[in-house]
Amino acid sequence: MSLRAPGLPRAGLGVALGIGLAYALVGGIRAAYGWDPVIDGDAVLQVALIAAGLGFLIGLGAFDYWFRWAIGAPTVPEDHSGHGAHSWKDYFRVNTDHKVIGVQYVVHSFVFLLIGGMFAMLVRAELAQPGMQFVNPNAYNGLFSVHASILIFLFIIPVFAGLANYVLPLMIGAPDMAFPRLNALSFWMLPVAGIMFLLSFLAPGGSFSTGWTAYAPLSTDAPIGQVFFTIGVQFAGASSIATALNFLVTIITMRAPGMSFFRMPLLVWANFSTSLLVVIATPFIAASQFFVLLDRALGFNFFDVTRGGDVLMYQHVFWFYSHPAVYIMMLPGFGIVSEILAVKARKPIFGYRMMAFSLLAIVVLGFTVWAHHMFVSGMQEWIRVPMMITTAVIAVPTGIKIFSWLATLWRGVLHLDTPMLFALGFLTMFTLGGISGVMLAMIPFDIHVSDTYFIVAHIHYVLFGGSLFTIFAGVYYWFPKMTGRMYDERLGKWHFWTTFIAFNCTFAPMHLIGIEGMPRRVADYADQFAGWNLFISIASFVVGLSTLIFVYNIVISWRAGVRAPANPWRALTLEWQVSSPPPIFNFDTVPTVVGGPYEYGVPGAVHGVFKGAEVKTTAAPSGAAPAGD
Amino acid sequence: MVLGGLVASAIGIVLGLAIDWFPTITSAQADQVETLYDVLVIASVPIFVLVMTVVISAVIRFRMRPGQENEDGPPIHGNTTLEVIWTVLPALLILGLCAYSYVVLQDVEDVSASEAAKELNIGVTGQQFAWTFTYPQEVSGGDKPLSTTELVLPIDRSVKFDIQSKDVIHDFWVPDFSMKIDAVPGITTHYRVTPERLGTYPIVCAELCGLGHSVMRNRVRVVSEQDFQAWLQEQSKPAAPENASPAQLAAAGKQIFTGTAGCGGCHTLADAGTTGQIGPDLDQVLKGASEEEIRTDIVDPNQTIAKGYGPDVMPGNFEQTLSPSELDALVAYLEEAAAR
Amino acid sequence: MEAGALTLHDHHGPPPANRSSRVDPQTLGMLLFIISEVMVFGAFFTAYFFIRVVAGDQWPAEGTELPKLIAGVNTAILLSSSLTMHWTVMAAKAGNRFGMKAGILATTLLGATFLFVQINEYVHIGFAPSDTAQGSIFYGLTGLHGAHVFIGLMLLTFVTIRVFRGHFSPEHHHGIEIPGIYWHFVDIMWVIVYSTVYLL
Ligand code: HEA
Ligand code: HEA
Ligand code: HEC
Ligand code: CUA
Ligand SMILES: [Cu+2]
Repeated sequence: MSLRAPGLPRAGLGVALGIGLAYALVGGIRAAYGWDPVIDGDAVLQVALIAAGLGFLIGLGAFDYWFRWAIGAPTVPEDHSGHGAHSWKDYFRVNTDHKVIGVQYVVHSFVFLLIGGMFAMLVRAELAQPGMQFVNPNAYNGLFSVHASILIFLFIIPVFAGLANYVLPLMIGAPDMAFPRLNALSFWMLPVAGIMFLLSFLAPGGSFSTGWTAYAPLSTDAPIGQVFFTIGVQFAGASSIATALNFLVTIITMRAPGMSFFRMPLLVWANFSTSLLVVIATPFIAASQFFVLLDRALGFNFFDVTRGGDVLMYQHVFWFYSHPAVYIMMLPGFGIVSEILAVKARKPIFGYRMMAFSLLAIVVLGFTVWAHHMFVSGMQEWIRVPMMITTAVIAVPTGIKIFSWLATLWRGVLHLDTPMLFALGFLTMFTLGGISGVMLAMIPFDIHVSDTYFIVAHIHYVLFGGSLFTIFAGVYYWFPKMTGRMYDERLGKWHFWTTFIAFNCTFAPMHLIGIEGMPRRVADYADQFAGWNLFISIASFVVGLSTLIFVYNIVISWRAGVRAPANPWRALTLEWQVSSPPPIFNFDTVPTVVGGPYEYGVPGAVHGVFKGAEVKTTAAPSGAAPAGD
Repeated sequence: MVLGGLVASAIGIVLGLAIDWFPTITSAQADQVETLYDVLVIASVPIFVLVMTVVISAVIRFRMRPGQENEDGPPIHGNTTLEVIWTVLPALLILGLCAYSYVVLQDVEDVSASEAAKELNIGVTGQQFAWTFTYPQEVSGGDKPLSTTELVLPIDRSVKFDIQSKDVIHDFWVPDFSMKIDAVPGITTHYRVTPERLGTYPIVCAELCGLGHSVMRNRVRVVSEQDFQAWLQEQSKPAAPENASPAQLAAAGKQIFTGTAGCGGCHTLADAGTTGQIGPDLDQVLKGASEEEIRTDIVDPNQTIAKGYGPDVMPGNFEQTLSPSELDALVAYLEEAAAR
Repeated sequence: MEAGALTLHDHHGPPPANRSSRVDPQTLGMLLFIISEVMVFGAFFTAYFFIRVVAGDQWPAEGTELPKLIAGVNTAILLSSSLTMHWTVMAAKAGNRFGMKAGILATTLLGATFLFVQINEYVHIGFAPSDTAQGSIFYGLTGLHGAHVFIGLMLLTFVTIRVFRGHFSPEHHHGIEIPGIYWHFVDIMWVIVYSTVYLL
């Protein structure tokens, strides 16, 4: 293991150099200005977080190619030796194969689900009884802040990107993503963010403890741990922007001949809309954290009211990202569910075009509702009513999807295996969460329940009952394709039922105690809520254990499951037309798409065909000419 | 199936309404909001039940039977009339709900002219981690606006709160009144309530404001008009009569410790019978503390930080919120309580 | 197509991807990236809006003034660099090596001058970001733009190196065209920043 070849050892070196650089920079500048102390811990830490992060990526070799390109040196021609993973080691280096990256993404994200879930368990342990038992209030605030930040920025968002990374190029008949190296880079930015979030616990004053919303001015005068969030989010954000960009270019320019936009599987549509959201919205959270960083590090006054700053500005900028973010965390799930329901009900998706259009409608509407998080924030009053209407109207396109899925089920032949169960679980639980969302949109009601456990209930019904259920469904559904082995059906069903029941026992009562007046984000609460909280905590531990069933199932099946056939679900979409796992380059020749992706029940219908080599030259891509430059 | 659905939604609605989830109605506003809530329940339960029923009956009726392994469903691609229906109906429902909520919003925020005349105007200041309330001079009748850490409201009289914050964002919420709004540094926010029920209700800070957020609690007492006036009298005159006997002084101090200043919320003190856990147990830490030490501990808590506790938890504004005489009484009381 | 034919014979690489759109991937990627860059500026302009319009504070903060004129000259400098950039691309398409070299050098130098003047302006402007919110957002917006100029300059430097190393031909000039697009974006952004922050 040499320190000059790209890889983890060199990455370690990069981190060390980064930290050294931070000391040098800060020390140098402060010495130059004659400030003391010359070595200011906070300043160094802030620079070090950025420098070490970049040092890690450079050391790992994420930039090697571009460096050579930049100085015009002859770039190493891609000999495809990087493609595919031949041993587990290959998952720990910069790999440009979208299938390897997909697996890296998914596994990495699930590790963080366990970590974030563990924090939730600690939260519940503390809340099991009134009064303080395990942690002090500060540690508690840290726990739920990191819980939420990890599960949002390092689980839900990346895991969707990961699944899509694996199947999307296959689905549209592309050999890889448009920018494989960028793809690798976007993955490797995630561990950087994740490790930062976790390291924050070691910071003096404890981890960041201002919630995942990090409202100013609380965050601008919080202990130094806050910076780990501020900077970690930059890496996570950059990662998702890069991926989104990659998806968009891939979908637009690399579809197989004949794959017109209205022949794309809905998962592709979903990721197309999600990527639009990411590219447009994510810069706003980056900026919001820049503001906080500038206020903290360089004494800017964005949020210092005594000098003309405006604290509500933070919330506007933050929510202009973070509301679209909630759809970033749901639309890919919609895509997954559309795939699974069509295949498992053996029927075409009901109202395909409306499904696609409603996605776009949600994208557009999603940008017009951010202030529904600010009904009680004291902002200008006239904003509220328009935002209430736009917010509630989102129920319409979403409703179209829900009802179309129901219609897809009707008169089908339902294969009730694990992916299907989770898809159905999503259908019902997300509806509940969505409806509580519409209730929240009604301003006077929101005034009463805002910042109470009713919100916490809503959050988890949409994020756990919504997003996470679709993720479980997707992982089970594509497990055979990704690993070449079948998962254990019996354990899968156990996993579903325990999770489904325990999940409801955990989060349903939260609506109740919320309305009764239990605020969120509190380490201690009035005795009147003791009974329910104990019940919730116990149920939540069952959720935790049920998750372990899933982990166990995946691990044993991956190592010793029965070999999976190429197309165990009799699905039409392209990823199932190649072996499981797919060949290193996905296809020998790019297939030609001749029909819609969901023509189940139509006699002899096919989606794509693999003619011989001559396909490339004969079949002219419909509505698109080969690009020339 | 249809029948099942109807029954289910009926049950759902009854459950939603019959079990009274709301805190007891104690203000005109809460009344409005709970009605809105009931309407929302009536509107949404059937939707959820509809989805549930369709899924369940689909599972029952169209579940794959043995032998159907390779069968497919009929290739139905869509149905325009259906799609129009389930676009238009929810849209209408939504707009109806929005219109109604708009009306309710007006009602809970505005006040009738007659009410406005005798409306009470109270300043609320949030600060890590305690609330301070200011009654304007013409109300308090004293020589200066009355500022206290105890909130007392007369019944059946509209109150307008002007809410401010000294440091970070807080949120002034009385769950039983169903109204809340953030206390935002730099601006003043408002809301109205008309208490309609005698009693004592919790005040909760609903916006994460730091490590003391969960203990940023207080109580509001809703009393009859004359009790209210009496209380104002009480407040405006010095805590203990001039040249009061130590006993009187201590008695006054004890009342302040448990009541006005709300020390008991955070501190355990056997003599006062308080069991707060946020701050140090005063029975322990005050043993043999001199009057001076105790006074600085109170007016400037951050000067000496008790072992194992953070700074900036105990409010630093008691010198403002307590009148000099009150402070004397409090210190005197703590000194002798500690002596015991 | 030939590339396609090639890989069909020896299966050591992926099959050539089908081009389902006329737009070229790199260019599209850069355009999308620029969209998200625009949004970053959008967020900073939101801050500007809140501090200047919503809060209604006087602009610039009293006792301070913004060097409209110098900045104006600077604007001219940056804009002219856009022209030279365009010239460079034309030269590349025409295969005129001298034009490429001269053009790219001119562009880089003009950009550097702009940055230098900007920094110089900071030194003499007489107020710090920590003084007032107006100061913060002034430095915020111009600084953000400055950072983008810096990134742009790095790209241009890379291009310069490669130009002098004899890269690029009438057929292959993406390496010039795409940094070029970014550079034009940086210039246009400056016009917006200049007119909102200095002129309005
Ligand atoms: C996956 C993430 C996700 C999703 C999809 C949603 C979806 C929605 N959310 Fe939610 N929301 C969050 C995640 C999400 N939310 C989070 C994390 C927070 C808290 C942030 C924080 O403060 O920490 C939050 C907070 C939040 C608030 C702020 C509450 C407060 O803090 O005071 C509001 C208020 O309007 C709201 C509304 C909605 C609405 C109207 C929808 C709609 O999109 C729902 C639409 C779906 C349906 C309505 C169901 C299906 C439709 C039908 C069956 C048709 C018929 C239905 C009707 C006619 C009603 N959400
Ligand atoms: C995708 C998002 C997501 C997911 C999956 C979860 C999952 C869970 N969440 Fe969380 N949560 C949020 C997003 C999410 N949450 C957000 C955004 C907030 C708001 C934060 C804020 O206010 O800023 C929040 C806040 C939040 C709160 C409110 C905190 C407060 O306001 O004071 C609570 C309290 O009960 C909670 C509980 C849980 C529980 C019990 C789970 C469980 O489902 C977790 C189950 C998973 C596991 C347990 C991991 C697997 C098991 C193991 C690792 C083995 C160990 C198990 C045992 C020891 C039993 N969450
Ligand atoms: C919001 C919680 C809170 C409230 C209300 C509060 N305190 Fe404290 N108090 C603390 C905390 C926390 C400490 C320990 C940190 C410190 O010393 O400042 C403390 C410290 C003290 C000390 C010093 C103990 C020592 O060892 O030095 C005294 C005396 C005291 N409080 C008295 C009071 C009195 C009297 C009141 C009411 C007028 C009061 N406190 C109200 C939280 C509170
Ligand atoms: Cu004050 Cu929470
Ligand atoms: Cu939202």
